[in-house]
Amino acid sequence: MGIMLLSSGIACAQTPASAPVGTLAGTPIVNTARLNYDLGSDARALDSNTVTLRVAERLDVRLVREGEGPVSVDAGLTIVPFLLTNADNGSEAFAITATLAAQAAPGGIVPVLAFDSDGDGHYDPAHDTALVGGTTPVLAPGATVRLFAVIAPGSVVAADSLVVTARAVSGSGTAGTPFDGKGDGGSDAVVGQTGAVASITVPLRTGNSGPVLIKSQSVANANGASGPATRGSIITYRLEARFPGGAHAAVIADRIPDGTRFVPGSLRVDDAVLTDGSDADPGSFDGRGIAVALGDVAAASSHTVQFNVQIQ
Amino acid sequence: MPARTLLAVVLAATALAAGTPALAKPAAASGPLEITSSMMIESRSAAADGTTRVSLVKPTRVAPGDRIIFVLAYHNVGTQPLSNVVLANPLPRAIAYRGVSPGSPAPEVSVDGQTYGALASLRVRALDGSTRAASPDDVTHVRWRIASPLAAGSQGQFAFQAVLK
Repeated sequence: MGIMLLSSGIACAQTPASAPVGTLAGTPIVNTARLNYDLGSDARALDSNTVTLRVAERLDVRLVREGEGPVSVDAGLTIVPFLLTNADNGSEAFAITATLAAQAAPGGIVPVLAFDSDGDGHYDPAHDTALVGGTTPVLAPGATVRLFAVIAPGSVVAADSLVVTARAVSGSGTAGTPFDGKGDGGSDAVVGQTGAVASITVPLRTGNSGPVLIKSQSVANANGASGPATRGSIITYRLEARFPGGAHAAVIADRIPDGTRFVPGSLRVDDAVLTDGSDADPGSFDGRGIAVALGDVAAASSHTVQFNVQIQ
Repeated sequence: MPARTLLAVVLAATALAAGTPALAKPAAASGPLEITSSMMIESRSAAADGTTRVSLVKPTRVAPGDRIIFVLAYHNVGTQPLSNVVLANPLPRAIAYRGVSPGSPAPEVSVDGQTYGALASLRVRALDGSTRAASPDDVTHVRWRIASPLAAGSQGQFAFQAVLK
């Protein structure tokens, strides 16, 4: 593009050229030949005419994702880092879009893009600035910057993916397409082999991978028939914990409601009776609530805890 | 003043006929041998007979990796034969030599501007004093020596291929 900026004015960490990008755009190629001859005994020398070509700016861009495989989307912000390289010989800015494929319709949820301004590889909202207007600053030839796509919690539906696309601001399209006067130093710009467009697709694994606790209850009156909850009624609580991705040192705990009394000996896990005391078995009641230690839980498993209270 | 203009034209025509280069072209003031340098690219077009025609054209733009054909044209516009004619082309920094162009006599090349010869005969000295065979990328100068004498009125051209680094 036709603007030159000093790298010190750019609010993002650029690494030096990672790959040779060839003669810089706008460089004049000046050629003059030299001639020597003898006319009789007179030795003469002269220069030819001088021809000058100005090197065009070629437009190429690369996007590389950092990391591989599906990205887990959980309750917090989901951060997908990637590297953008200005892969040819001119100073160039790039317009970037990030979309969730399943919500690509207008008005859908759009991930936020941010620079790794401090270059530490981790997203930090305090330091890493958002990409203004979806366009990078002007990047030096060969320079690489790290960006983050930041996905808000709750954005992702099942089987979604993140699509990030970068385009050279000066122009993109079929390789060889010229953009007169759009190159550095008034040179022409011309689309390179990449088409001056790059795209990455990152599969997203939806929130089902985290544990889920489902609580249900049933009420029986004093003589055992189901009915409205009244004094003396027994409430049976059922806590089903599902672990799609497994878990380490899992504990299911629940406090009994005010105005109820725990029914001694009613605690069960997966239909096995547990004693109320804090002892060898994993279950206990401490006077205010129950707790069942499940330990390490395999992926795609579920456990159900059940206990009774009586309304006072 | 039309009459005077006409006179000037007649004089110029006379000068050309007499082969006085100083009047024929200002650039030739330094001598009877003219040299014209140009940088060209190949343009390919489909000919009517189904073949591809390659012609040399002035480039509208060049980018790294593009092939550039350097053409040196000479013409002895004087009336006397010339001897020891040498056309040399120091390569611009951003240009890498690739080889002679089809149809042109092969040039002598140099990797230091001092010693010329066939590329295969040249060696490059590294900082540690060791040497290796020169490659096209090492070439810094290209030259042609024309067999003496170069008769009055003789002309021709040389060409080599290069790429923009």
